[in-house]
Amino acid sequence: MTALTLDVRDVTKRFGAGETAVQAVRGVSLAVASGEVVLIMGPSGSGKTTLLSMMGALLKPTDGSIHLDGTAISELSESRLSDIRLRQFGFIFQDFNLLSALSVLENVAIVAELAGHKGRAARANATTLLTELGLGDRLDFLPEKLSGGEKQRVAIARALINDPTLILADEPTANLDSKIGHEIMRLLRAIAKDQGRSVVIVSHDQRIRDIADRVLWLEDGAFKDFVTMATDPVCGMSVERERAVSADRDGETFFFCSRGCREEFLGRLRSDGRGDGRGLPALIRATTAALSRHSSRGSSHHEGAK
Amino acid sequence: MSGSLLLARRNLAGNRVRFLVSVGGVALALSLTLALDAIYAGVANQMTTYVDRSGADVWVAQAGVRNLHMVASSLPDSVTDEVRVVSGVAAVTPILEATDTIAAGDERAVAYVIGLPADAAMGGPWNVVEGSDRVGPGETIVDRGFARKARVTLGDRVTLLGGEATIVGLSEGTASLLNSVAFVSLDDFRMMRGGARAISFVLVKVVPGAVGEAVAGEIGRTVPGVTAQTSAEFASQERRLVMDMSADVISIMNAIGFVVGLAVVALTVYVATLARRREFGVLKALGARNVVLYRVVLVQAVLSIAAGLLVALAFTGLLALVVPRLGLNLELSIGAASLAKVGLFAAVIAGLAAILPIRQVAGVDPAVVFKTGAAA
Repeated sequence: MTALTLDVRDVTKRFGAGETAVQAVRGVSLAVASGEVVLIMGPSGSGKTTLLSMMGALLKPTDGSIHLDGTAISELSESRLSDIRLRQFGFIFQDFNLLSALSVLENVAIVAELAGHKGRAARANATTLLTELGLGDRLDFLPEKLSGGEKQRVAIARALINDPTLILADEPTANLDSKIGHEIMRLLRAIAKDQGRSVVIVSHDQRIRDIADRVLWLEDGAFKDFVTMATDPVCGMSVERERAVSADRDGETFFFCSRGCREEFLGRLRSDGRGDGRGLPALIRATTAALSRHSSRGSSHHEGAK
Repeated sequence: MSGSLLLARRNLAGNRVRFLVSVGGVALALSLTLALDAIYAGVANQMTTYVDRSGADVWVAQAGVRNLHMVASSLPDSVTDEVRVVSGVAAVTPILEATDTIAAGDERAVAYVIGLPADAAMGGPWNVVEGSDRVGPGETIVDRGFARKARVTLGDRVTLLGGEATIVGLSEGTASLLNSVAFVSLDDFRMMRGGARAISFVLVKVVPGAVGEAVAGEIGRTVPGVTAQTSAEFASQERRLVMDMSADVISIMNAIGFVVGLAVVALTVYVATLARRREFGVLKALGARNVVLYRVVLVQAVLSIAAGLLVALAFTGLLALVVPRLGLNLELSIGAASLAKVGLFAAVIAGLAAILPIRQVAGVDPAVVFKTGAAA
């Protein structure tokens, strides 16, 4: 059996009180094992960031508890939590959040120094890590001189420098182009699989599902049945497959926001004089083909590993 | 500590204009305090130059008179002989002294006018650069700076003590910001003041091996109606008088300098902290304790202040070198006490300036890292 790293037990987070109280997370439970990559998806405002903040010991739950390697971190004082964030967690952010005044090397080394490593040792460790991540020739660069992918790799090096148990990543591919996004995704999976660290990712990016062992859907502060999104090939709108109007053609299913779009789609096919869908624009075909690989699996909370 | 220092340094260097404004503001504020102290100390030094260079070990004055400036001392002529016979006294020189206006043409200046006996062993000009160092009837020695301004030289006549005298010597080092020293003969001085057989002070040289304090004490005990002090005590009283007269001005300027310095540094560090509020949040999220972040802010304040203090010292030192060469009769004297005071000012300013930004940092929510916005 795989060792448990993070155990979130029936966690609730309320902001405010009385009639104006907002319940951002409602009774969420989640267990993350060592070496596991968990992806949490959901619409904006669903409570993903609040949940991630609680898992990262940046926010205390109103109810419930969070355990890291058996320690109830939700009960600890801020001074103990600082230490846990420093040594047990590695954070990766959408905006990279590098310190603009420090060089690439210093951005990573300073976190090692905060954990008590001496300056020279901290810099040596940071240099090794950055070189492994392909940034050996960028050590003295300021963050403003780096590309998005390079910045995110610096952030990953910073997250790894203190040898954490758990990596928490908030939209790690959001500000990156497709190629670099894939590169970062592969890197995150390698961190989990090769180094045995747990990785929890919060993202809207469907591509990340490729590297996740589990995908969870958070909506209105609670995990819901997984909803698979598809793009309407006519108007381009994102639609939930389970609730969308659909049409099958030659073994492929297409999803639409309304009957109107479906009729227009079918009408176009008829006017092409071909009912096989080969007249569809290449882009629509490619999109639908990619999405069709992620078919919904009933009413379970999560999708299994790919 | 090295991480905090590095971050503080880089945060300051990250916006050079802001850093230079901060250092400039601090330098200006501290220079104000330092230069004013130096000017007053310089003036006090100049005010005692005559006492220091008189050559006397002990000054004997009318009872209760303890300095030269803004007081009048009048002693009977006989006191000179009474002092001469006191144990430990080697030589005596009676002098007359009055603060008067010396005039030549349209130029008028305040001067200590000193009446000297013909055989004066003490109290005469110590650096005559032109002409005679002795004054006879109808003659005077004036400061060369005054002569230059008044466009007079040896052989020209000046007005002083209500009469006229011919310049026979020009001295240097006898002028201050406030006045200069002019010398006439004792007899002329008496005649110009109505001929009374009185003197102002008796200057005393003690015998070799004798202690000035002891001789002054003996004079005080044996000669009635006098106050006898060593030259050092007499000069110290003079300096204290000048500093007491200027204490309020110095205090006000110190307060202004302190407030300006505090405002500049507090504002700069506050703005620098505010500009990097998100980065402080990132550091908190990554596990930096508050105390580490406070140290970064404090080091930023201390570095700004230290740089400002260095610039202020350099600037005031430069002023002290340049000003005397401008012919302003102004001396700037930077003393250890003044340096200690400004150093203390700087330390207090750094501490106070860091309070507001530290409160700002304490309030940063580490969860700010999950909010999207401008970030590196």
